[in-house]
Amino acid sequence: MAILEIRHLTHIFPNGTIALNDINLSVEAGEFVVIAGANGSGKTALLRHLNGLLRPTSGEVLLEGVPIAKDLTRARRKIGLIFQNSDNQIVGQTVSEDVAFGPENLNLSREEVDRLVKEILEAVGLSDLACRQPHTLSGGQKKRLAVAGVLAMRPQIIAFDEPFVALDYQGVLQVLSQIVDLHRKGHTILVVTHDLEKVLAHATRLIIMEKGRIVRDGDPARLIGDVETYGIKKPSGESVETMTWLS
Amino acid sequence: MAELTLFHYIAKKTLIHGMDGRIKLICMILFTMAVGFSQKGLDLAVLTAVLLMVYMAAGLSIKRLMTEIRYFLVLIGIIVVAHSFTIPGTAIPGLPVQGMTWEGLRSGLLFGWRLMLMLIIGNIMTGTTSFSLFKNVVEWFLRPVPFIPAARVAMMFSLTLVLIPAIFDQASEMLDAQKARCIDGRKNPIARISFLAGPLLFHTFMRADEIVQAMESRCYSEVRTPTAFQTTPTDWLLLGFTVAACLMVLLI
Ligand SMILES: Nc1ncnc2c1ncn2[C@@H]1O[C@H](COP(=O)(O)OP(=O)(O)OP(=O)(O)O)[C@@H](O)[C@H]1O
Ligand SMILES: [Mg+2]
Repeated sequence: MAILEIRHLTHIFPNGTIALNDINLSVEAGEFVVIAGANGSGKTALLRHLNGLLRPTSGEVLLEGVPIAKDLTRARRKIGLIFQNSDNQIVGQTVSEDVAFGPENLNLSREEVDRLVKEILEAVGLSDLACRQPHTLSGGQKKRLAVAGVLAMRPQIIAFDEPFVALDYQGVLQVLSQIVDLHRKGHTILVVTHDLEKVLAHATRLIIMEKGRIVRDGDPARLIGDVETYGIKKPSGESVETMTWLS
Repeated sequence: MAELTLFHYIAKKTLIHGMDGRIKLICMILFTMAVGFSQKGLDLAVLTAVLLMVYMAAGLSIKRLMTEIRYFLVLIGIIVVAHSFTIPGTAIPGLPVQGMTWEGLRSGLLFGWRLMLMLIIGNIMTGTTSFSLFKNVVEWFLRPVPFIPAARVAMMFSLTLVLIPAIFDQASEMLDAQKARCIDGRKNPIARISFLAGPLLFHTFMRADEIVQAMESRCYSEVRTPTAFQTTPTDWLLLGFTVAACLMVLLI
């Protein structure tokens, strides 16, 4: 059974913009999906439907066969969303406090929260910065903190909205290797990006969106030739395996 | 990065830093009351000695204290002068200006002294307590109060603290961007403010909206894991010491 299924999802904003137009999609556990598309094609809107931040005008989203609207907390725990702007995702006054935010919302016991925070800060390599104020972190560190905050909820699916925007070379490497690592550990990964050259080599599937619709969906190697038709820059080089910044 | 320079938290490991925040807050309130109620110079002298001791124990430097309260010294000066002139009593002879009284000077000095001590107390509290701990302490005290959603108040408190530096950053960035487009050429201050305030307000709301979404996607709930506090014998000892010092000053 697909871990995530989207059926006839349409979203029309109050001002009449059709952001999503009859989206059908099913994702299996363990997939690494890259979603590309020109500005305004509806990628962010799609991600926000995955955990109920936006409600469909019509259609539905199923998590393990159950509509997410039935139990939003469950959906939000199982599907972690990393926002494009990590500044807006960080609500704690210290790094460790921010990681604790999610587990505290779930009302876990204090010991469990502390254990989770310690374990996750170690996993993302932020232990040394546990007491720092988030606004004093670098861009890459902030992004990793945002990921840590989501990991503390023990999600199965992790969706990244433009994870590489505004990061320098080192920042991209840090975040990219983290994403690849999470995939290796068994998480299902969705990455929204225009930067195919940074990550496509790791993807098992490429989805291209245009004007609120999914126009292409399949094996990255097969689709890479078409991307320029949809306003996405095609990385130089023919072979998809070279399209990564990790060496 | 916009930072409040006054009343900074200094991360250190001292006796005072390690105190249970709740007990520390109670101690500071007791000291503040003792300062407020004491009438004689001797009382204030004792309190000054005790508070300076605590100040040193907290690993805060006197130099830092001076830089942090220098603006208040001006205020204190004004208070002393104002008291000297307005409180009736025996005039101070031999001054070039008429109308200053001994009683006024004395009351002004006492008032200024009290203000200084309160600043020191505030400095000890903020210098040794991180905002987040302080927030948790306030939340703990609010918990039993009916009709006040302590968790929500605490969350609003910390969101404000997260947003303020962000808004300052945004403002200074926008100001720079407008300067780069020669806003200085406009002389009308109202127009200049509105060019800044409009977009700033808009961005702040957009940003608040996105923060709310991020919180929602992390399952925000007001039924949350409560903060754990730990009270050690040292805390009770320090509380006892505070009570004793304050009583001594007030009763003797
Ligand atoms: N709050 C809103 N109200 C009205 N229209 C909106 C709103 N948010 C987004 N839109 C519109 O919905 C469409 C899809 O937006 P979305 O943000 O999903 O695009 P995107 O693919 O993420 O683009 P980008 O690459 O720029 O991030 C766009 O046409 C956008 O203008
Ligand atoms: Mg987007």
